Amino acid sequence: MQRRYFRLLASAAAIALSAPAAMAQELTIFWAEWDPANYLQELVNEYEAETGVVVTVETVPWQDFQTKAFTEFNAKGSAYDMIVGDSQWLGAASEGGHYVDLTEFFQANNLGEIMAPATVKYYAEYPANSQKYWAIPAEGDAVGWSYRKDWFEDPAEMEAFKAKYGYDLAVPQDWKHLIDIAEFFHRPDENRYGIAIYTDNSYDGLVMGVENALFSYGAELGDPNTYVVDGIINSDKAVEALEAYRKLYGFTPPGWSKTFFVENNQAITENLAAMSMNYFAFFPALVNPATNPNAANTGFFANPKGPYGDQYAALGGQGISIVSYSNNVEESYKFLEWFIQEDVQKRWAELGGYTAHAATLESAEFRNATPYNEAFFQTMFMVKDFWAVPEYAELLVAANQRWYPYIVGGEGTAKEALDALAADWTETFKKYGRLQ
Amino acid sequence: MAEVKTKGEVIVNRAAIVAVMLALVVMLTPILWITATAFKPRNLATTVPPTVMFEPTLSPFAKLFTKRSQLREPVEQEVYDAAPWWEQLVFDGGEQVVRNKKTGEATPSGFGGRYLNSLIVSIVSTVLAVSMGTITAYGFSRFRVPGEQDWLFFILSTRMLPPIVVAIPMFLMYRAVGLYDTHIGLIILYTAFNLSFAVWIMKGFIDEIPREYEEAALVDGYTRLQAFFKIVLPEALTGIAATAVFCFITAWNEYAFALMMTSRNAQTAPPYIPSQVGSGLSDWTVIASGTFLFLLPVAIFTFLLRNHLLRGMSFGAIRK
Amino acid sequence: MADVITRLDPTSRAAARGFSDMTIRNLFIIPTIVFLIVFNVFPLIYSLWTAFTDYRASTAAAANFVGLANFRELLSDPDIWRNFTITAKYVVITVTGQVIVGFGLAMLLNRKIPLKGLITTLLLLPMMLSPAVVGLFWKLLYDPSFGIINYFLGLGKFEWLAQPQMALWAVALVDIWMWSPFVMLLSLAGLSAVPKHLYEAAEIDRAGPFYTFFRITLPLVAPILMIAIIFRTMEAFKTFDHAYILSTQPTTELIAIRLYKMAFLEWQTGMSSAFAYIVLIVVVAITNIYVKYLNKAKAR
Repeated sequence: MQRRYFRLLASAAAIALSAPAAMAQELTIFWAEWDPANYLQELVNEYEAETGVVVTVETVPWQDFQTKAFTEFNAKGSAYDMIVGDSQWLGAASEGGHYVDLTEFFQANNLGEIMAPATVKYYAEYPANSQKYWAIPAEGDAVGWSYRKDWFEDPAEMEAFKAKYGYDLAVPQDWKHLIDIAEFFHRPDENRYGIAIYTDNSYDGLVMGVENALFSYGAELGDPNTYVVDGIINSDKAVEALEAYRKLYGFTPPGWSKTFFVENNQAITENLAAMSMNYFAFFPALVNPATNPNAANTGFFANPKGPYGDQYAALGGQGISIVSYSNNVEESYKFLEWFIQEDVQKRWAELGGYTAHAATLESAEFRNATPYNEAFFQTMFMVKDFWAVPEYAELLVAANQRWYPYIVGGEGTAKEALDALAADWTETFKKYGRLQ
Repeated sequence: MAEVKTKGEVIVNRAAIVAVMLALVVMLTPILWITATAFKPRNLATTVPPTVMFEPTLSPFAKLFTKRSQLREPVEQEVYDAAPWWEQLVFDGGEQVVRNKKTGEATPSGFGGRYLNSLIVSIVSTVLAVSMGTITAYGFSRFRVPGEQDWLFFILSTRMLPPIVVAIPMFLMYRAVGLYDTHIGLIILYTAFNLSFAVWIMKGFIDEIPREYEEAALVDGYTRLQAFFKIVLPEALTGIAATAVFCFITAWNEYAFALMMTSRNAQTAPPYIPSQVGSGLSDWTVIASGTFLFLLPVAIFTFLLRNHLLRGMSFGAIRK
Repeated sequence: MADVITRLDPTSRAAARGFSDMTIRNLFIIPTIVFLIVFNVFPLIYSLWTAFTDYRASTAAAANFVGLANFRELLSDPDIWRNFTITAKYVVITVTGQVIVGFGLAMLLNRKIPLKGLITTLLLLPMMLSPAVVGLFWKLLYDPSFGIINYFLGLGKFEWLAQPQMALWAVALVDIWMWSPFVMLLSLAGLSAVPKHLYEAAEIDRAGPFYTFFRITLPLVAPILMIAIIFRTMEAFKTFDHAYILSTQPTTELIAIRLYKMAFLEWQTGMSSAFAYIVLIVVVAITNIYVKYLNKAKAR
């Protein structure tokens, strides 16, 4: 038994060692399992047609994407040549030596100009303002809103709304309107609810949702240069924003305690909510009558401004990076050169990818292509992101742990939650030597 | 239980049957719901209130086996009419089949290949775990082993550490010895997972088999091995069947390591099924169809073994 | 190694024919033990080493030895203690529930019932599903708007998973649903082994059903039931998949969920290894007590 086991081991090792030799003209891109990955596969098939290089987009479920990627990095594995990684990973992946430094490539191709400025800042550059680049903005994304046009345009509703709030029922212009409208449509007796928001605290769902409030209320997470957070993340504006988010939670459908993109789209398709927050990447499912019976009556808008006139949205999306441990770094550069061409980016947008290419984004063709592209275009010029430092996940977990009980459980006050978070974050930044 | 029944026994028996039926309803409702969802059109999967009656469709299965992407608008009628039936089923769900640009062929989803991998890995690892577990249990049951209790506890303890923690070193180890993304790698992994269970359960069963049987056989001129194969194994069949069912289920459904330790060659199906939730609107029907197809082999396997599972352990005549 | 004394009749002449008992014993036992040691030794030593470092698997930075700092930090963190309390509650609820339901079903099935084989197979179905899928579907079943549980039971908009106090019970209920069949199957095997003549003897003695159950049935089934309990307890401590998918309320944060976050979201590899060893020690201690009971049950 024992000897056979070792013989098995030996033969397995031999097979594994002989495998990589055959992979000269093949590239593998690693991403999560979702539609944009399918679009990317379609796009790269065209690269294969042009060059003969076979490019495969390999995917795993979203919830395992991060785990699998970093486990692979940790083993210095060469299974993936490129990776379309989350914006928050930049710090960990660049400091960890997992990504190839693309600064030269970036400058040689003038990508700082070609790509939308926000996408360069958040998908490519680390540390902030360092002019060092680790990725090419690939799939732009941010949190926007969908809403029920038929509910909003119903004359009876419009009249009732005007009578109650003193202004016209329309797409919310600011967060006060957003809250009013959510309250207005919240009618549990009719199985109708005001609003669908993110509450999933297992990764970045809840945090993205709260950020939409924070940023538009003019609050900040902290000082990106000094890492001072106390007095910033628990500022009065931040407290107001968190209170607003808690208020919105009161107008969500029942059981809205662990919800993310899937549930929020369902809120629209199943007639549960008047408005629903979601990443733009998930809106295509809402415009097809086969998947959304209310497709014709679904509209979209960008995150509205806050009470002090600030208007921002939380950033999602990914840039494409070359993995340091790849055996095909040269081939990968060639692929990226192809990928950043204007006509390829146009094609990428046509297929359903959210290009970060500024000229393509600004074109009327793109902005009118779908009901949500205009909102996407507006949003991509007003996005802000979470921390991208290597310990971002600790910051994320702390935010989840402080915000969730307040928002979903109604425990304590917003001020208490944010003060506690400021203390947590300060401790984390001290632990990693960013803050004295 | 005597053949002639008193009135009281008849009543008790009937009450038991009613209780079993009740339990069946409670235990099976979720599974019936999954099965029903597997045959639902996509828009009926999550309705308010839930849809109980509907016209079944194979659309979820067509989607399960193909690689698809979201359509932003319904396809034109001519395209729809020209498509083969399975592609029409995918169109019905608001999606299109991803086709190869050069050859025009539809891209399979990989579910079929993963399913096959699941079968290979689960069957082989179950056979290994059960046979190793049985002989080891026999060894511990019948012979004096120095430090017996400690060894048994060691075997048990291999199942105690939360698997998440050993994932990283396991991954590094597999990478180093070339077991990453191989069938053999997963087989070894699942055999190791199940071995402690197999040893303990089998020891529980073998301990119950009276030693007198073997002694009698030895006196009759059997060797120890013959006695083991001809007397002990048949007696232990219930235990073997139960252990095999449990080991198969564990290997068949294992998720975390299947995801971590494989990439393209040896991927099994469990991580694939929930991934179908990914594209913006959860497609419960596809997850349900995958779950349904994935439940079939275990259910059949168990059903085939049912008589062994229920046969009882021994003649029950002699006990120590 | 030298003194192989079989527990069978020592005068047996088996040793004279074929393999000696010692050879058979070694052949039967050693491969398994060697296999398990080889397989587990590296991961165990590796995680034991990282438990004393500040290692993070997400970066290339070298690990620094920090002594007992991880353990100290963990044991002084009230959140960790809360995780343990929640898990203890969860283990007690689920294992008790599974034993009651599983053993109860086995008692019901341990008689002549039409279609017994089919019924048993059907009752085993819940445990054949993948835990991740079970989590996904139960989330759907529990949903106050789309779910069938409230719909069929007429519970209106009852929020199973959104109420912090209810959520743990809801998660535990799924576990009981899924794993009672495990206890049932093992109990059934044990029950069918109880010699019938013991029942007949009890009947002749006019023993009541309670007496028969506690004095005949239970003692004889106890060993196999105990093994079922040991495994369910160990597994319940490690519960992750369905719980994580169903709820991430602070009130349902089981040890394995916290561990996962620490290891794979925060990438505090060293800290999470230390945590895992604390868990291991707890589980070893509890299992030890169980095994003592098991041996006692067998001795009877």
